[in-house]
Amino acid sequence: MSNQQDFKALWNQQDANAPDIKALYKKANQYKRKSIVKLVLTNILLIATSLFIGSIWYYFQPEMTSTKIGIILIIVAMVLYLAAFNLMIPLLNKIGSEMNAKEYLQKFQALKQKQIFLQTTMMNLYFFLLSLGLALYMYEYAVRSLPFMIVVYALTFTWIGISWFYLRPKKIKSETLKLEELLHKFERINEQFKGGE
Amino acid sequence: MVFEDIYKTHWKRVFRLCMGYVNDADVAKDIAQETFIIVWQQLPKLRSDVALVSWILKIASNQCLRQIGKENKFPKTDLLPEIPEAPPPEIEDKVKFLYQCIAELKETDRLIISLELEDVNQSEIAEIMGLTPSNVRVRIHRIKELLTEKFRRYE
Repeated sequence: MSNQQDFKALWNQQDANAPDIKALYKKANQYKRKSIVKLVLTNILLIATSLFIGSIWYYFQPEMTSTKIGIILIIVAMVLYLAAFNLMIPLLNKIGSEMNAKEYLQKFQALKQKQIFLQTTMMNLYFFLLSLGLALYMYEYAVRSLPFMIVVYALTFTWIGISWFYLRPKKIKSETLKLEELLHKFERINEQFKGGE
Repeated sequence: MVFEDIYKTHWKRVFRLCMGYVNDADVAKDIAQETFIIVWQQLPKLRSDVALVSWILKIASNQCLRQIGKENKFPKTDLLPEIPEAPPPEIEDKVKFLYQCIAELKETDRLIISLELEDVNQSEIAEIMGLTPSNVRVRIHRIKELLTEKFRRYE
């Protein structure tokens, strides 16, 4: 078993019957449907929430500027999040199929990094704007009764505190770990393209 | 050429290339299918001066590399294939051993040797990989030596 011919003969013996082509079409449709459903659901959910909050402005006519600013901030947070989400999904599918493996890997790495950066940055921004908007929004209604105000703000700030100082760092840490592992893999393979040039 | 004909004609080569990369029939089938989905979508845009086989194998190689973004889905055994949990019938041990040895190589070497075993000529391999032809030649030589050595110990 020492010459090239033998390897080729063995290689070709691998069982490799093509599955029915219908399975392929089905899979292609599944991919398509899955990403569309996700896109539509997220958009509907956030747009509906924004409309709901907007309708509060319309129907309840808040008097204080802080409430209006709060509403605007909440809507801005959602729109920004949506924009990032909608931009991100097609990002990774836009790598040209005509690139060679070396270029493809570099491009894929760059996009992956961009995606992760966008995710973390937008998540922080979204959360920050949402918390701030909520706090401003509630002020007008909370200020009418002191005990109510204390309870509502205590609860809200506890929630914000837990999310910001506990959940967010935890999520960022696990994302960073994953990213580091990923970059390490990319580096290892990129290194292989350099050898012997 | 109609897509269905392309699929039937080239499935085996694409599947074997993926199999050399991951050494797991299910994962290889998935990557091969993803490759053909791209082929299907991009076929109308294919320039007439591009060789079809090379183009398909290029997409397949890139899809293999893309596995990097996924979790470690394909655990590989380090030992000889004694009896795997679900042994695919009629594949000889030597065939399994060859694929296992290839899947243990560095990622780029897996692709290079798989393309070589698929009878793709070395300048095309260089083009697909983005390496120089001389580099490809040297690497194929080294990989074959390594495989020969592994087989000598195996037998």
